[in-house]
Amino acid sequence: MTAVAPPVAPPETTTGTFRREDTRLLCGEGEYLGDVQRPDLKHIAILRSPLAHARIREIDVSGALTLPGVIGAFTGAELAAEVGTFNHHLEAIPTLRQLNWSVLAVDKVRFVGEAVAAVVADSRYIAEDALELIEVDYEELPAVSDVEAGLEADAPQLYEDWGDNVFLYIPGPHGDTETAFANADGVLQEKFTHHRIIGLPLDGHGALGEFDAATGRLVLHASTQIPHFLRTVLAEITGLSEAKIRVVAPDMGGGFGNKVHMVREEALVAVLAMRVRHPVVWKQDRTESLTASVHSRQQVHNVEAAYRNDGRILGLRAEIIADVGSPELYVLGAGPAIVTTAIVPNCYDLQDYAFELRCVATNKAPMGAYRGYGQGQAVFLIERVLDLVGEKLGIDPVEMRRINMIPDEQRPYVTATGAVLDCGSFHDQLSDLLEGADYAAACRRRDEARTEGRLVGVGIAQMVEATAPNIHGLAGQFGVYEMAMLAVQPDGKVNVVVGTKSQGQGHETIFAKAAADELGISPDDVTVSDGDTGVLPYGSGTWGSRSVVMGGGAVIKAARQVRDKMVAIAAGLLDAPADQITVSDGFFRLGEAAIPFAQIASAAYLHTFLLPPGMDPGLSVIVGYDSFNTSPFPDERGKMNVAATYATAAAAAVVEVDPATGVVSVGDLTIVHDCGTVMNQVILDGQIHGAVMQAIGQTFLEELHYDENGQPLTTTLLDYAIPTFGDIVEPRIIHRETPSDLIGGYRGAGEGALIVVPAALAAAVHDALVPLGVPITQANLSPPRLRDLLREHSAG
Amino acid sequence: MKPARFEYVAVESVAEATEALADSEDARVLAGGQSLVPLMNLRLARPSLLVDVNGVGALSGFEARNGTLRFGAMCRHRFLETDPAVRRQAPIVAETAGLIGHVGIRNRGTLGGSIAHADPVAELPALLVALGGNVVASSTTGERRVPAAELFAGPFMTSLEPAELLTAVEIPAHGEGDGGAFSEFVLRHGDFATAGVAVILHRDGDGACESVRVAGCGLGPTPMDLSAAGEFLLGESALTDGGADELGRRVAAASDPTGDVHGSGEYRRELAAVLAADAVRRAWGRAGSTGGG
Repeated sequence: MTAVAPPVAPPETTTGTFRREDTRLLCGEGEYLGDVQRPDLKHIAILRSPLAHARIREIDVSGALTLPGVIGAFTGAELAAEVGTFNHHLEAIPTLRQLNWSVLAVDKVRFVGEAVAAVVADSRYIAEDALELIEVDYEELPAVSDVEAGLEADAPQLYEDWGDNVFLYIPGPHGDTETAFANADGVLQEKFTHHRIIGLPLDGHGALGEFDAATGRLVLHASTQIPHFLRTVLAEITGLSEAKIRVVAPDMGGGFGNKVHMVREEALVAVLAMRVRHPVVWKQDRTESLTASVHSRQQVHNVEAAYRNDGRILGLRAEIIADVGSPELYVLGAGPAIVTTAIVPNCYDLQDYAFELRCVATNKAPMGAYRGYGQGQAVFLIERVLDLVGEKLGIDPVEMRRINMIPDEQRPYVTATGAVLDCGSFHDQLSDLLEGADYAAACRRRDEARTEGRLVGVGIAQMVEATAPNIHGLAGQFGVYEMAMLAVQPDGKVNVVVGTKSQGQGHETIFAKAAADELGISPDDVTVSDGDTGVLPYGSGTWGSRSVVMGGGAVIKAARQVRDKMVAIAAGLLDAPADQITVSDGFFRLGEAAIPFAQIASAAYLHTFLLPPGMDPGLSVIVGYDSFNTSPFPDERGKMNVAATYATAAAAAVVEVDPATGVVSVGDLTIVHDCGTVMNQVILDGQIHGAVMQAIGQTFLEELHYDENGQPLTTTLLDYAIPTFGDIVEPRIIHRETPSDLIGGYRGAGEGALIVVPAALAAAVHDALVPLGVPITQANLSPPRLRDLLREHSAG
Repeated sequence: MKPARFEYVAVESVAEATEALADSEDARVLAGGQSLVPLMNLRLARPSLLVDVNGVGALSGFEARNGTLRFGAMCRHRFLETDPAVRRQAPIVAETAGLIGHVGIRNRGTLGGSIAHADPVAELPALLVALGGNVVASSTTGERRVPAAELFAGPFMTSLEPAELLTAVEIPAHGEGDGGAFSEFVLRHGDFATAGVAVILHRDGDGACESVRVAGCGLGPTPMDLSAAGEFLLGESALTDGGADELGRRVAAASDPTGDVHGSGEYRRELAAVLAADAVRRAWGRAGSTGGG
């Protein structure tokens, strides 16, 4: 007899609700930018620079205009005369070079792929044909491809008026490193490198613009993480008021930070919609997304760590050089590198920490955000330092961390750079990791494998992540907090609108639950929307692991305000004090008496004579929500609390290296994760699984290549290898919940695994190579790169 | 990422196809389209005419004739991989076809298309070289056979004339004592090989190695005939670990790989050594057992 397993029911618990948007998204019923159709829609194609660095002498578009089906062809010089320019709006940072740039390059191109001219035509086919008929006379200039070469005195200069290529310089002398180094028993000197990769959404950037000349109103559908920010920029570029502009962000196949930047093409679409008086669309193709959107990660760290023989790290000096490519990217592409400098102390008691940050412009595509936002590089730095110092001293990695971790008693702990940490016990978190990963057994198995000549390694890493960064003073022209609208409709059903923007994270599910729990109704009665500036005055979008913390907080705050009004109505109807009314299961209750939720709603809208005297009709609010705990600017010592909350995680990896091919197999991966109160564990686990995949890609597969002349060599997905289903590593996940002090007790989630796992993998590979004595100081551990390392070692 | 303007004609016979090719300056044959269409979308290929031969029934199927296996050029990779007769009569072809891309790609991609495309990292051209096979080319003026050794002229270049249609691929039939193996390194499942090595050998009734042929992909500007590297195995009746590794060293030394984003020339050479050793071990075992590989 065969036992039949009962069907597995979806977990409909407080922590695990299946995602309501999945049916739509997975069955092809989502509406992505490519699904937005308009009659008479015209298509934009963009001519891009084939040279990394050149002066534009002349552009002749007349040939393109002769092709049937072409509506118009436009150059940067022509449009620059009529439209506004981009600017970082960061005069608050005096050591940042101030730049203005237009929707198309005007005088100079500074990377292969920079937008030079645009054609509007009846179809993308015709538009691309027309691009071939545009003639550009370039004066080619020598290019800066390597960031360290770009710092040389005789390097070609991207901006002649700068005198060098340093776009941003920030010194950060925290504490007293002089004394720390003077008191040290030894100093570790290392150079760490991080390669250039990209956060790659399924659908790239794109926009569809419609301009109604009669009303002077512009609607831009854009695949963006930050619709309200984009509206502000469109106003600046087009000269329209924000009241005349509506930005709608449709469904997206991810953003990963790439779409937290406003590429110039999005503004170009708006400008061209106004020029040609047709709806126009531009959709980034894959080569454009790989060569002309937003790259990430590339940094060089020169590090000195002063240590005592008992394992204590006394002080740290870090020279951090970030290759920011073309700096003409909004929002500021140097942001992740600034965050790198802030996160270096991580969860360790390291007050004597000095850095120097140089963000260097090079003739490559702009560098900017990608999930993790510079924090992974910082974690890699400090975690590698701990392991390398421990190796010198014969102290094992666990002990090195325990020696240097911030003591549990110190909460809040203010880090050297000003982060105010209210996190849970790092010691307990590490203990959970060691237990969950069965660390001792893993080390035993490693030792046995070594005796058989196999290269097996075990590595651990920890991280503190700034989540929900509310960087009020340094956000340029944007506000960073959150807004939500909540309306109970006359029938008792609820609309929630948030200023965050889901790119697939399941916001419809979680925000419905958050509102429903406050209102005492079913999530099924709540409809959630986002991504429409026409509905909500403002919002800061989704990035920086902020949506649950800030969006969730805003939704709950709104729901509480509406609930309070409904309670007041119920109290009036029941002739009882409001504080005696309870709300549950769709009823307002006083003892045995119960009024249905919908009846309160109809009183508020339809039977307003039932309302308490003087109460305004209606049941809707728009709330703003700020955490009020971050610093608007750095203080006089350069310290700044950037984030509303800090999440923590730790990871342990077991790997085996095949020395002949350089292939690393990940045998086991354990992650302990603390993002405060868990809102929905299914979604949270999904975030961690996705981040692990990207960590695998970043470490073992992905690298954007440029040659010495600045020509991109990874221009299709044949050349740029992202992980696929064959590369899946399934982590063991352990959740800890240390609530924050904010509404809901949430901390951010979603980026942590991508921040901590690469450092754990590097530690494990390093450990595997101990028998060969090959230290790991680079983030790129792809098979060819690892072979390079092993070959250099055996030769050297 | 849209192709330049082109004309399209779907033909139903080899004669129609060769006429269309003869009439056009820069026509290209559309078979499975797995390589050509992406190149057209990138405007790296700009044929004025596509001659679609998917409807030419005479280009499909395979048959054994006088010790030779003849495959129609339109045999899909997936057919080669899964067809029981192919797996029995040409096991190395089935093994190699299964290494190509993903199932979706193998459902469309064709044997003739892959060979005519002459990508130096592709598997089937290297296998054809290892097997010492030839292709059949037709034009309006007749039909000719081109041995693999004379077919591959450079990266993405063959000695076929623009007006010729590759109609069939012929390889020696698999017999007793034959053994073959194709080993490749891919960064991810389904990728183009960074490098690959095919070893085809024959052992006589006493188990002694009577012939050995070696070819590689990703190891030079064309599929590379590396058979000379294996000559030291002739007459040997046992393959030692040292012998397999020695073949690896010789294959690596005879290779001429260049670097690209997937690996330096040096890395490919290192892979060649590992892959050749693996392939010869597997081929040797198969040649020594009935059924072979």
